[in-house]
This record gives sequence, structure tokens and C-alpha cells, in this order.
Amino acid sequence: MDNNMRNNKNFSKVSNIIESLTINPSPDSIAVLEEIGTNSSIDDVRELTSRALVKRNEHDSLAVVISNRGKGINDMSTVVAMSTINELLSLENKEEAMKVLENTISSESFDEEVKENARSVKALMALS
Amino acid sequence: MTAIERINQLSHRIFNTSKSEAQTTRTSNPFAASNFQKNILTEDVFESSKAKEASKVSFTGNLTASSKRIYSTFVGSLGDFGNKFYEGIESIMAFGTRMKDSIVNTCKHGWNKLQEIGNTEISLDGTKEILKRDITSFFINGREREISKLSKMDPHSEVKPMLVEALSALEADMAVVAA
Repeated sequence: MDNNMRNNKNFSKVSNIIESLTINPSPDSIAVLEEIGTNSSIDDVRELTSRALVKRNEHDSLAVVISNRGKGINDMSTVVAMSTINELLSLENKEEAMKVLENTISSESFDEEVKENARSVKALMALS
Repeated sequence: MTAIERINQLSHRIFNTSKSEAQTTRTSNPFAASNFQKNILTEDVFESSKAKEASKVSFTGNLTASSKRIYSTFVGSLGDFGNKFYEGIESIMAFGTRMKDSIVNTCKHGWNKLQEIGNTEISLDGTKEILKRDITSFFINGREREISKLSKMDPHSEVKPMLVEALSALEADMAVVAA
């Protein structure tokens, strides 16, 4: 994240809103993050959103960043994908994340690319 | 000489003594042996009436003998006055010394105070750090307060429009930077 972005007032506002949705207990927060944050054209916003979804550590929020093509660990941006993986590895309780990864790997409905990424992350999480 | 003549002579000697008085010079001090509060007159302050007439300058004026005694006591006491004056000077000197010491001590105290103030300036750096930290924490706390406030809002009806608006503004900023 460059300094221009960090010092931008609107980015701080976006960051605060995403942070608030991280701690908002309402399940609707996940939908907002997915709909607005993960579809942003700005890499830094997608990065923040993916990390926020991982921090919530809920099945639905983890499914967004693990099982969806082009989001979270499957993002086109290496920075966003690696940042999401780091956040998953940093989780204290990885139980829910492992379940989502296993479901993604074992499900027939997901792309092979998504499954491959899920397998790699699961291997990393097993080692961490 | 008859008895009457002798009596007349005697009466003349008793009641008319001006002739013999004129020949008498009184240089002795009748109060020399007296001690007026330990002030012994060293000079004869009792001038003769003849001398008084001769000089025509009367410092004492029409002083009576009792007045002269009083004044002689006063003159004798001048010695004591001198001592007292000297003591006064000494006390003034002592006062001055005390004042000097007091001023020196005050200056020393003031200097120490100044040094303390100088040392306090060092602690101002600490104050600056505290202020800096407080200002930083103020902004951090401000951010935390804002996040906490946003987290209590409804995600769809309240937060989502705000996020969309903020993202639009950010994208506009990025477009300007890219251009």
C-alpha cells in the first residue's frame, strides 16, 4: 500500500467502514463486503475487504475469500491473494477455515483452479 | 575694735561677699566626684561670672546651676552616645551583612531555582513526547470511536451507501492521480 493511498482521506473513510463491517455482528455485513469491497477496482480496497472477511472467521465470510473465483485467495492480484492467505494463517482458530477449504476441495461445483488454490492454502495452514 | 564694730565687720563678710567672690576662681568641678550615670565630667563647665561677662558670648544663656548640671550630664553622656552610635553603626553593619547574606542566599536560591527551571526544560521534552503521544492517541481513539459508531449501524441501509460514496470518491482521487 503506497503512501499516497494511505494518506488519502477517502481511503481512510473506506478503511474505517470496512473495519466497522468486520466487527458488526450482523450477517448482512458479509453481503455488503462481498458486493462492494471485493468487487472494487482498487487493489488496496479488495485487500482490506478480503482480510476483513477472514477476520470475521465465519463460514459465509470465509467461503467468499476461499471458494469464489477472482476473490480472496483467488484474486488476480498477487498482493491481494497473498495478503488473504497470510490472514488465514494468522487466525488463532483455524477450524472454520479448514472446513471451508475441505468443502471447496471436495466439491464438484468449483473450478479446478479454485480447488488447487484451496489445496495449497490448506497445506500451508496444516504446516502453520 | 569694739564688739559692735566686729559684729558689723562680720555682718559685712556674711551678707556682702561680692568683693571676695570677685577674687575667687573656681576651676574645681564640684561634681567631679559625682557620678552621673557613670558619666564623669572631665572639664569644668562651671564658668565664673567674670568670665561670663568677659566673653559676652553665652552659649548657655541664662542657665541656672541646676541646668548646668543637667547639661553637664548630657555632655558626659555624649561619650555613651558615641558608644551607642558606634554600636548602632555596628548593628547597621551587621544588618548590612545579614542583608548581604540574605541577598546572596536569595540569589543562590534564585540560581538554584533557575537551574531547576533549566532542568525542567529537559523534562519539557518528556512533556512534548506525552503531548505527541496524546495527540496520536487522540486521532487513534477518534478512528476507533468512528469505527465503533459505524459498527452499530445497519450494514445495508446505512453503511453500504456510505461505503459506495466513499469508494466513488476514492476512485475519483485515483483517477486524478493516474492522470
